[in-house]
Amino acid sequence: MSTLDPFVVEVIRHGLSAAAEEMSLVMTRSARSPLLREAGDLSSAITDAEGGLVGQGRDIPIHLGAMAYTIRELLKACPASGMKEGDAIIYNVGALGGNHLNDVKVARPVFVDGKLIAFALSLAHWPDVGGTWPGSYLARAVDTFQEAIRIPPLPIASSAGVNRPVLDFILANVRDPVSCEGDLMAQLAATTAAERRIREMCAQYGTQTFVDTMARLHDLSEAEMRAAIADLPDGIYEGEDFLDDGGPNGEPSRIHVKIEIRGDEATFDLSGSADKVSTFCNTTPFIARSAVVYAARIMSGRDMQQNAGALRPITIITRPGSILEPGWNAAVAAGNHETSMRVVDAIFLAMESVIPEKLSAGGPATSGLLAFAEPMPDQSWRMLYEVHGGGEGARHDRDGCPATRVHLANTSNTPAEVIEANYAIRVERQAIRRDSGGRGRHKGGDGVIRSYRVLAPSMWLTTCVERTVMPTYGLSGGEPGKPYVVTLERDGATEPLAGKANLLLKAGDLVTLEGCGGGGFGDPATQVQ
Amino acid sequence: MQTRVWDIGTDIGGTFTDIIAVESASNETRIAKVPSRPDAPVRAMLEALAAVGLGANDVRRFVHGTTRVTNALVEERLPRVALVATAGFEDVLEIARYRREELYRLDIRPKAPPLVPPALCFGVKERLDHTGAVVEPLPEAEIERLIAWLKANEVQSVAICLLHSYANPVHEKMLAERLEGVVPHLCVSHEINPEAREYERASSTAFNAAAMPIAVEYLTELEEKLPLGAGLQVFHSAGAMVPVPAVKRRPLVMAMSGPAAGVSASARLARDLGRPRVLTFDMGGTTTDVCLIVDGAAEMTDTRMMGGRPLRQPMLAVHSIGAGGGSIVSLGPGGLTVGPKSAGSVPGPACYGRGGDRPTITDANAVLGYLDPEARLGDTIQLDVEAARRFIAPIAKSLGLGLTETALGIVKVANASMARALRRVTVERGVDGRDCTLLAFGGGGPMHATGLADIYGLKEIVVPAASSAFSALGCLTADFSFLQQRTVRMPLNGFPQAAFAERVGELVKEATTPLIANGIAERDIAIEHVALMRYAAQSDSIPIGFAMPLDTAVLEADFHRRHQQLFGYATGESCVIESVRVQAVKASMTPFSRPDVGRPPVTERVRDCVFEGGQPVSTAIIARETLTATVSGPAIIEDAWSTVVVPPGWQARADDLGNLFLNRSAA
Repeated sequence: MSTLDPFVVEVIRHGLSAAAEEMSLVMTRSARSPLLREAGDLSSAITDAEGGLVGQGRDIPIHLGAMAYTIRELLKACPASGMKEGDAIIYNVGALGGNHLNDVKVARPVFVDGKLIAFALSLAHWPDVGGTWPGSYLARAVDTFQEAIRIPPLPIASSAGVNRPVLDFILANVRDPVSCEGDLMAQLAATTAAERRIREMCAQYGTQTFVDTMARLHDLSEAEMRAAIADLPDGIYEGEDFLDDGGPNGEPSRIHVKIEIRGDEATFDLSGSADKVSTFCNTTPFIARSAVVYAARIMSGRDMQQNAGALRPITIITRPGSILEPGWNAAVAAGNHETSMRVVDAIFLAMESVIPEKLSAGGPATSGLLAFAEPMPDQSWRMLYEVHGGGEGARHDRDGCPATRVHLANTSNTPAEVIEANYAIRVERQAIRRDSGGRGRHKGGDGVIRSYRVLAPSMWLTTCVERTVMPTYGLSGGEPGKPYVVTLERDGATEPLAGKANLLLKAGDLVTLEGCGGGGFGDPATQVQ
Repeated sequence: MQTRVWDIGTDIGGTFTDIIAVESASNETRIAKVPSRPDAPVRAMLEALAAVGLGANDVRRFVHGTTRVTNALVEERLPRVALVATAGFEDVLEIARYRREELYRLDIRPKAPPLVPPALCFGVKERLDHTGAVVEPLPEAEIERLIAWLKANEVQSVAICLLHSYANPVHEKMLAERLEGVVPHLCVSHEINPEAREYERASSTAFNAAAMPIAVEYLTELEEKLPLGAGLQVFHSAGAMVPVPAVKRRPLVMAMSGPAAGVSASARLARDLGRPRVLTFDMGGTTTDVCLIVDGAAEMTDTRMMGGRPLRQPMLAVHSIGAGGGSIVSLGPGGLTVGPKSAGSVPGPACYGRGGDRPTITDANAVLGYLDPEARLGDTIQLDVEAARRFIAPIAKSLGLGLTETALGIVKVANASMARALRRVTVERGVDGRDCTLLAFGGGGPMHATGLADIYGLKEIVVPAASSAFSALGCLTADFSFLQQRTVRMPLNGFPQAAFAERVGELVKEATTPLIANGIAERDIAIEHVALMRYAAQSDSIPIGFAMPLDTAVLEADFHRRHQQLFGYATGESCVIESVRVQAVKASMTPFSRPDVGRPPVTERVRDCVFEGGQPVSTAIIARETLTATVSGPAIIEDAWSTVVVPPGWQARADDLGNLFLNRSAA
């Protein structure tokens, strides 16, 4: 392997990224759900034959981090020896490198000359996967059985085509089967596209060179991550942040990290975090890991490849029974995008005094989700799943940006004109929430405000919004931004809504969400005009 | 002596203004290149005319492509523009769509600041729904309030974008009528971009409003200096010409004017040469543009980002990547990368000897012997090959490789990133790129073409005659056309035939009016119809051509077939026509002859060059003008402005018009 041409390595790396990007393109252009086609809640990856991530699209960081485990864990449950050319496997369970049940994975083993070379992996957030509440987000879910249908690894396709009984079983358990079938077809098509590209590369450069290159990419990523960690001063750093609620009496839940940097290796011990919580904010250890790797990468300030090798110099510890390792039957729908963000925040706060110029103050580290489900006359459901950004936290050298998403999140808003054409909702206002950013030498960005008028006789609403109680933090003396606020105006009276709730709406109701402001950076007395 | 017999095409680039002139009787063709003058573009055009020995009085037709107006906007040199939106939606530009391109960078702003500052955004109370029904009428008092505000704020140009105006422009029209004369420049979203999604429509309309003052001033000066009436034309982003008065109202159409002209010339050449599938490869100093041409027509797209903001209108689907000859090569723990940082035109690559101290792709080419060490680029730059070696040496040392081996590797990596761009434009259209002919032009295209072809599996390369001024040529040979696109959202199930025909009729009128106003006879105008179709539950649409009267069964079958081709599956779901695009075309057949580059031919000689395999080989340097027989690589074919690399294993031949054809030699 020492003879591997470094330029061929780079060429194949380009090819792997291009193949993953092509997968995402196939998905967004041909998918059905607005969540996929407008908001882009999907990710694509390519792994080696052992499940080590080697190529990824420009998608959602939380997915991409967790996908480093999605094939690895699958292979423990379903050995490669049982896989054949043309197979595709569908699954969503947490134990297999999962995050939450809405994110349905399709994995395709790629064979070249009869030998397993790689996997193409497509992850898509399905708008509903069954369970108690339309949209599959139940704030007070006791366990995952209440949340959604659990799909263990099942053969969704083979060289003979789509496996209809499996597909029918899944579609019989979701509330918008037409959209889901179209989305699944798009996922299968995406993995097929990647398979084609991988085979082309093997034909051009030789299968062994391709395989060796994937191994080399891991080594290169490891070197990059080691160099990044070595840049940080040795020491032990502790930080903590809190989720709004989830404690035994509804009090905030702690996320704590103890970071030990030693030379070019780092340990992130998250054992001090809260016990398993009473809401859907538990998460899987894969998500905790994904958040840590994201934070490590972003603190490096380097443009590095996120391949499996990047994980080697990092040790991540979670405690069984905690919010970050609650057991495979715990409710986890929201932890995926809420609790994961708090892990990043805790790491940032731990490093605040060490590398403030590499960080940004606290921002909209939540999905800010409002999910509207409308029952249709044919007893199916139409689902609008809408995220809401806030103000980015300020940095040492600039103000925070208004109305954006940060860190692990990267889905878009749905245009008002698309919402109104597809749902019985009128968007009455979408505006910048002025002066919501925290003061500082540099100010935090401002959040957004959006109001939704219900036009249907009834609608089922889920809120999944963090930072309603615990505001975003400032850094280096900067002030926090204003928290998220959700309200319901009904029959002339306005009442606040909880950040995590499931409730029934009726015609004429007006739901308004005000997104948080970002934290400021530096002493407000020295504010830069 | 007869005057006004010359037809002129010019392309005003960032560094050079290219010109090509064709005499209408003899087809005599002249080409020149002069330095651009960003502060005095009209003067640069007259200097370019002088460079081909002509004056304003010799010109019959003058077509130009320029990205000057959009560059001014991307560089934030903005006039005082206001946005008028539905009350409650004034912040549409600032909110944008949240999504960020860079996932792992906190140091850069996640999105561009709004084109119109918040203080110049104004909300009027009114409301339509998605069917176009008026939910809340626009009261007279609101209009008066707006007029007072505009006057108080001394606004130069206004963009009006109300919710759902694509479905019913009634309120936008009311405002436009009342604001006539109140502000110097005004545009309305239902004319600029009558399609759903308020942010993209508002962004495009604001872009247009911001461009209007700049475009009007510049085009008016041009009309004074070149009073050719209908003979003065501008090249638009959708790949054809449009008369000046129409551009003054819609300067947005110039956004991709220059690159589109190169693609348009390529489409013409693809038709002339009978090549069914062509990939254009225009590699410049800082960017590379690629586009797919199928059956002589370039692919179209609806949206592109300009300075981080979406600009939505039908345009040629030119895909640009930030890699060109000036892209900087660096070596990190993760390996060797090329770009995205560029040495730009100043200081430029190290070998330009103007203070560049980072190795670039061009430097790698210099080390390999592809560039003429005696050449003086644009009469000012003397090539310094030694400098190229000096700055590539540290990379070679770190890799433990030889200098030329490293340079070969750099070129290979650069070609891989170009191949990724080619893949992007082909997979988006469901085409296997390996069947395509690569059409290489621009400064670096002909140099990298064979390497790119090898990586991508392409079998034929064409380097067109006039390759160094190819965009200027495109201006001259393109059709005359105008197009309009609108959201209609009509399901094929229970299709509203009459309403559809009415809507198409309106679009035909909107597309043909600017051509007729410019003296083109209606009978000479051909109409092309395209339906943008999707399954009911999808949102992205794919273009399907159709003829009127519409046969929905044929359209539906065509859609299913195309979906299968693009995405590998099709279903029996119901489909929707999301939008209709109508293009009015008057075909052009300007002939041209083998160009006279107006410079002394390059002297033939021999130079050491390095190709795949590693050892320097004595390589024939051939003057492009003199090439008649087939030459086998290794060879370098040069003209005054470009270099064609023919490595071992490839061969080149020229046709009567001066186009070069490169193929792999028979084994």
